[in-house]
Amino acid sequence: MSWRRLRTLLIREVRATLRDPFTLTVLIAVPLVALLSFSFVLSIRVEHLALGVHDASDSSASRRIVADLAGSGSFDPRHYATREALEAALVAGEISAGLVFPPDFARRLLGQRAGERAAEIQVLLDGAETILAGNADVFLRSIVRASGARLAARDVGQGARGSAARPEPAAGSVRAVTRALFNPKLDGTPFMVAGTFGFVLSFLTTLITAVAIVNERLSGTFDQLQLTPATNLEILLGKLLPLGGIFALDVVLMMFAAELILGVWPRGSALFFVVISAFYVLTSLSMGLFFSATSSTAAEAVQKTVLASIPLIQLSGFVFPVRNMPDAVQWVSELIPATHYIRISRAIYLRGAGPIELLPELALLTLFGALLVAVALRSLARRA
Amino acid sequence: MTPPPTTRRHGFASNILALAFREMMVMRHDRPFVAMITVQPIMMLLLFGFALTNEPANVPWALLDRSHSAASRRLAQEIEGTGYFLPPRSVASTAEGRALLERGAALALVAIPEHFARDALRGDPEIQVLLDGADPLSAARVGGILQEVAAAFDPGGRSLRERAATRPASTPGPIDLRRRFWFNATLADRKFLLATLGGMLLTNLCLSVSSLGLVGERESGTYEQTLSLPTTPVEFVLGKLLPHVGVSYAVLAIALLGAGIGFGFWPQGSWLALGLLTLPFVLASLSIGVFVSSLAKSSAQAIFLTVFFILPSFVLSGVLLPYQLMPDGVRQLGGLLPLRWYQIGLRRIVTRGGGLDDVLVPILALLAFFAVMLAVVRWRLKPRLG
Repeated sequence: MSWRRLRTLLIREVRATLRDPFTLTVLIAVPLVALLSFSFVLSIRVEHLALGVHDASDSSASRRIVADLAGSGSFDPRHYATREALEAALVAGEISAGLVFPPDFARRLLGQRAGERAAEIQVLLDGAETILAGNADVFLRSIVRASGARLAARDVGQGARGSAARPEPAAGSVRAVTRALFNPKLDGTPFMVAGTFGFVLSFLTTLITAVAIVNERLSGTFDQLQLTPATNLEILLGKLLPLGGIFALDVVLMMFAAELILGVWPRGSALFFVVISAFYVLTSLSMGLFFSATSSTAAEAVQKTVLASIPLIQLSGFVFPVRNMPDAVQWVSELIPATHYIRISRAIYLRGAGPIELLPELALLTLFGALLVAVALRSLARRA
Repeated sequence: MTPPPTTRRHGFASNILALAFREMMVMRHDRPFVAMITVQPIMMLLLFGFALTNEPANVPWALLDRSHSAASRRLAQEIEGTGYFLPPRSVASTAEGRALLERGAALALVAIPEHFARDALRGDPEIQVLLDGADPLSAARVGGILQEVAAAFDPGGRSLRERAATRPASTPGPIDLRRRFWFNATLADRKFLLATLGGMLLTNLCLSVSSLGLVGERESGTYEQTLSLPTTPVEFVLGKLLPHVGVSYAVLAIALLGAGIGFGFWPQGSWLALGLLTLPFVLASLSIGVFVSSLAKSSAQAIFLTVFFILPSFVLSGVLLPYQLMPDGVRQLGGLLPLRWYQIGLRRIVTRGGGLDDVLVPILALLAFFAVMLAVVRWRLKPRLG
């Protein structure tokens, strides 16, 4: 291995990349687009959700509850004259939840005596949208309970603002005061930003590497290089090091974009994060190398990469937590390097974790990285 | 073969059919393609049917019990009894619990104060819950579950089961909220994801075949040869895409049958409406692929463009996460994607049991999309040499 020969190859590769505007655009645009589109989509706040109301009681109490729901900003009530109309709207997806007040609602609520059954409201939620229904349920119940308690206490005059955003417990049972560490508003953005690094570095890196190597082989330049004094390892490193460098730059680019546009910056050490990411790029490069070594055309390499990447990314906990999966699937997830990288990335970004807290995850990531590099080098050696 | 007649007998339809026949022959011998359309549906069925869910499970939590009373122990048991949680890790101080959260070893810390049992008798018991905001979606769900357990907890000493027997399905307080989740009583995420499985598979399929197919023709020079054929570029493209409409319906059938046989989740609404809704979506997706192929100079470029159209489609359309909760601007942006309208229609028919009149708006939106794309493609697709 000679440093001078490697340097020549490196210069060649950097020049070739810079001359290719399409690849450059992909390398800059894709991480940014991924960052922006992913960072906004995870939200647990319920805002202006269409809520159907069928009010058979037509009382000041029921109107008060509907006004409280509207005043919270979480729901936009729409009135339906019959229960059938409300149910049809739910089927058509016009509303995500429905509230039905029975005719005797006000009498039961205000004339309540001990031992008598409580006043009843029926809540219909659109189970087709599971996440939405679950969140809307929590918000709806807390608001209705709060305003119901005030109504029952004949405290109708007081405003409903302020109490609406946070779930309020019912009187007479245990009150649970909840508070969230690291992210008090439970904002989805930093969670998704930290995950997007894992997504881009797993998917884009593997894809670009696979295509670059296969194209090199198809156009015959690989064979030409083998005729030069350069060894196989040098040729490979000459190809991979510039790519790795570019992706490391991509990491920095994404970090600054996240800070400037979304106001998300790692809580832990930024330098530590870049170092870990650079190492993770190495494992993704090896994965790309592996796919390219086992395919004969660029299209085949891409198809293999995409087909393999979809389950790998889904199982890595990027959107759906690994902990919720069945045991056997969890074992598979633990074998995927992206799972560990995403975990580390979120720990540094959200919890401000340092190397000591992350020791087990780092050890696993290193182990998988080393294994993948070894496998990729072997499959390539057999091919060359 | 008869010699070519003097009058022009090769009309629009027969040109397209001839090209469609050629495309079908090519397709049948393309083994990676056949593998892709069979492997992908099965893989996604397994992922969405078994693996992926937002429903909390195996939640690690820490318990700081300063009360050491029968009531606090019963509360801990009731939390564990919900089935969402692992057995708790007991901690001796708040700092110890926080350290577990910081390491990610616990998702929640439940602190029961010293005077819990006494407060319970007075009627004002309180517990503190500290959640790991680093995982906001899980934290919100777990927080909601803990609050529900606490609200339903009877400090007086009766267990959950006894109370359920005396006062069925009622919540404390002056108002009894009778809640029902329609279409999906247990709120299983499986139904949320499997309902749109067809949409995801068809997006993958239609975009990749049409973008790659046309670039492939151009790379191998066969597209320029069509200059000498009596076909117009639009006829050529339509003929090439026609067989893929058939393949799309086959893939949709695999997805629906797989969800039905494998998970007992059959479409609740009209099959006819489902078929009618799918056609404009397939056409719109294919036309996007054609547009992408007209931008790309090589197969590799076409693939990149396709993949990076598909990804935001999945994220912004609402197939994986609810679009209703996305912020303004992002939500409307997703409305420009055909997959958004298709998934709206799919959920109406497959999950909620809607009919044709429930999906008229999605169908019209998809048709409008297709019309616009067709105009764009017609303008981009003049065969050019060199």
